[in-house]
Amino acid sequence: MSFLAPLFFVGLAALAVPVIVHLIQRERKDIIEFPSLMFLRKIPYQSVERRRIHNWFLLLLRAAAMALLIAAFARPFLMRNPLQAATATAGAREVVILLDHSASMGYGDHWNRAKEAAVKAVQGLGREDQATLILFGTGTEEAVRATSDRGRLESAINDATVSSEATKFAPALRWAQSFLTRSTLPRKEVVFISDFQKTGWERQEEIHMPEGTVLTPISVAQPETSNLAVASVALQRSSFSNEERVTITAGLTNRGAAPFANVPVTLELEGRPVETKNLTVGPNASGSVTFAQVTAAQPNMRATIRAGSDSLPKDNNFHFVISPSRPVSVLVVQADGTNASPDMFLTTALSISKTPPFRLDVVPVSRLTPANFERRSVVILNDITTMSTQADATLRRFVDQGGGLFIVLADHTPWSGNDMPLMPGVPGSPVERLAKGSSGTLGFLDHSHPVFDDFKDPRNGTFTDIRFYQYRTLTPGANDRVLARFDDGAAALVERRVGDGRVIAFTSTLDPSWTNFPTKMMFPVVVPELLKYLGKYEEPSAWYTVGRMLDISVPLGAIVREGSAGDTKDATRKASAVVVSPSGKQDTMGEGGSPTIELAEQGFYSIRMQGSGDRRPYEVAVNLDPAESDLSALSPADFLGNATGQAAAVTQAGQSLERPELTPADMEKKQSFWWFLLAGAALALLSEAVLANRLSRRFGAGLLQTGR
Amino acid sequence: MDTHAIPGARFVDPKVLARIKDLELLARTVVDGFINGLHRAPYFGASIDFAEHRGYVPGDDIRRVDWRLYARTDKYYVKEYEADTNANLSVLLDISRSMAFASQGISKLDYGSYLAACLAYLSHRQRDRVGIVTFDEDVVTYVPPSAKHFNVLLHTLDQARAVRPGRLTATVSKVAEHFKRRSIVALISDLYENPDDLIEALSLYRGIGNDLIVFHVLDPAEIEFPYSQASRFQDLESGEEVPVIPEVFAEQYRKMMQEHIQALTAKFSEVRIDYVLVNTSKPLDEALFSYLGNRERLMRVR
Repeated sequence: MSFLAPLFFVGLAALAVPVIVHLIQRERKDIIEFPSLMFLRKIPYQSVERRRIHNWFLLLLRAAAMALLIAAFARPFLMRNPLQAATATAGAREVVILLDHSASMGYGDHWNRAKEAAVKAVQGLGREDQATLILFGTGTEEAVRATSDRGRLESAINDATVSSEATKFAPALRWAQSFLTRSTLPRKEVVFISDFQKTGWERQEEIHMPEGTVLTPISVAQPETSNLAVASVALQRSSFSNEERVTITAGLTNRGAAPFANVPVTLELEGRPVETKNLTVGPNASGSVTFAQVTAAQPNMRATIRAGSDSLPKDNNFHFVISPSRPVSVLVVQADGTNASPDMFLTTALSISKTPPFRLDVVPVSRLTPANFERRSVVILNDITTMSTQADATLRRFVDQGGGLFIVLADHTPWSGNDMPLMPGVPGSPVERLAKGSSGTLGFLDHSHPVFDDFKDPRNGTFTDIRFYQYRTLTPGANDRVLARFDDGAAALVERRVGDGRVIAFTSTLDPSWTNFPTKMMFPVVVPELLKYLGKYEEPSAWYTVGRMLDISVPLGAIVREGSAGDTKDATRKASAVVVSPSGKQDTMGEGGSPTIELAEQGFYSIRMQGSGDRRPYEVAVNLDPAESDLSALSPADFLGNATGQAAAVTQAGQSLERPELTPADMEKKQSFWWFLLAGAALALLSEAVLANRLSRRFGAGLLQTGR
Repeated sequence: MDTHAIPGARFVDPKVLARIKDLELLARTVVDGFINGLHRAPYFGASIDFAEHRGYVPGDDIRRVDWRLYARTDKYYVKEYEADTNANLSVLLDISRSMAFASQGISKLDYGSYLAACLAYLSHRQRDRVGIVTFDEDVVTYVPPSAKHFNVLLHTLDQARAVRPGRLTATVSKVAEHFKRRSIVALISDLYENPDDLIEALSLYRGIGNDLIVFHVLDPAEIEFPYSQASRFQDLESGEEVPVIPEVFAEQYRKMMQEHIQALTAKFSEVRIDYVLVNTSKPLDEALFSYLGNRERLMRVR
């Protein structure tokens, strides 16, 4: 036992003071001269003796409290570092080597140094020791489990490569915690080799390793790093001569203290350089490069931005996919005898929309065939009379399989009788609002519905100036949802779900005969929203981040959109695809394989659906987590503090696993015995107070009772 | 009668009296005031020594008419005589170390001295012979009773110092041998003795016809024991020390003190010795009354 501040023990001399004072004062202080002790002498002296013993006891308690207090101030500690003690004790070791192989480890010589540190850890194993090698990034990968075979371990270390994963410390530590908890070996040790990116801690998570576990962080981080990364790409689409053109803007970030001057930034399409521009990015700054427009001629075009090269080349490349926008195919079924061209207002409203664009086809109800429904997303029944039985059946199947149906109810209804499963409610007779003296307005909008969600904010548009002169009454069914009502309570928009499809009925017209809605500003806003909702349109993602799980429904949906309006429900269950990863690894996805795959590598995944013939494969671009480009590191001590909530020994990269000598102050701080001594002193003082009170009371009462 | 007496002096606080260094002045202050308060002096005038003639007034005893002077002057005169007595007052003053105790400014010895001075002054005015014995473990001063010893008595009182321990019973017994003539013996002491031993010693005085009056002088602290702090108590006479916890001892002490006083009262009463408990915080009246009562009884006996 040593003391950090032994001079405080001089204070122990002060302990003698109360003792001496106590002894001297007891004899000398408060002497009262009294004429005669004739009576006092008759009172038994024994009581006085007893009191003296009690005082001694309390005095000792007080002295003990004082001694504890002084000892606490002297800051005692054990010379033997518990860390060393743990390693010095006999018994085999269970060592878990956690080797960070996230993308950031590809910086400079980080990876080689990390592997060297891992090899040193393996070489430090004793005969009976066991080691487990875990490679970790976002998740953990068990390379070698609990073996004493150094050869296997070193081989696994040599075979390990840097991945594209992001850095996450907690899963790896938790794995080690779980593994070591189950281990039966007497000594447990974790060797944590990483560049300790600050972004590795998502939030403060305490890891509770089994007692006695030695956690040794080995940092390969460098104090000064420079790294240029392509952080993002923005795609701006425009139409030109029936072609879609895309303007590509790349955003670059310099996360170093040195500037990058005239960095060549190249756009590659399908592996061929298209354009190169130079860019200068200041220290800890961002910049952007905009390339000339490219034509999105065919779907799934591979595109890559390459920005010079530096110590971490992986994040200098950014991959993405360019595809022509998928138009939402809309079939407008008109009543016979009306103009074959679609209504001007509807055409105008849909032509304005760019995301998504709409493709509109019009067919009279009498000429409606099942072929008309192919490759359609939405069908609009624009105030038509009864359809043919075949068309009706096809329409029902179309909706049931996920198609969207928009029914405009004016003078006519597409069905007669009671068999109207697609009609959201029971239509009644038209209402002449002008006959009642005034036109109608919209009195209620369901803002919780996706169609009207954007209009919660009044600044996004108003419906107050829309007038309805006539409308058709519609009594919604029990399961139908009313999206809008007129001011008299009558339903204006009603939705019904049928199978996988969506049906919405509108009880007025899409031309100005019954309402001025088509002439108002809100018309070209609301109608595309309605059709997007009915067609289940989703913007396809140009790229994904490493670690994302990809569902087979994503490529399948794309193929369905590009191909036919096939049975997507069945297709999802039965579809199968061959996935080729950027490293060339092939995998089966869907039927016969996993329904999802993890996008673990940076680059392009090619997904070829079974039965898709010679159609271009669906491409998925995968990029690094942008956080990997941020190389700012935690110090190993801070890491330990975060991981365990306490300070610990730290070994720098390249050093052996022998523990560095801790200073007495470090050892004392780590052991913190003074807390216990202080608590002991407080306890002693508390006991003294309680005891003294009790003894005093009991002693007095006892004397009175015994008549002493 | 002295007209310079301070009205209300009988209520003068002993602590105030202590400021008067002249014992005679002190005694006169107390006694004259005390007698004024009685409104008459029933003990004045009985004597055989001629003092003066005064004119006869109806009611005078015709036996005291000086017929010879009547024959010469043809006027009735009555003879006045100098007051005289054959009574002795002997004060036995305990000046042992315990009498030096003072909790409120005036020690028991001082109080006893004032009391002795007052008694002597009173007796001296009555033409009694006064004497004093001061003693501690032995006789310190012996002044035999005499009509001329008043000033000697006062001087003795002035010189009395409580420096030595006392042996009350032994010394009182020893002093008794000196009393050959009937006297009023006033013992002034704190009486820290066994009551039985004390009675035995004092019975010697009774045997030769002395009248005894015992003034038991106690400081209020001795009676009430007002201490609260645990302390060591030191015997003033022996120097012995005893640790005392007042909260535990006080009640017992008071009880024992009261028992002691009651025992003294009872036992003195049995042997017809007057016993007066004197609290040094109280005026001297009580003690003087006790003395005068004793004096009156003595005169009636004569």
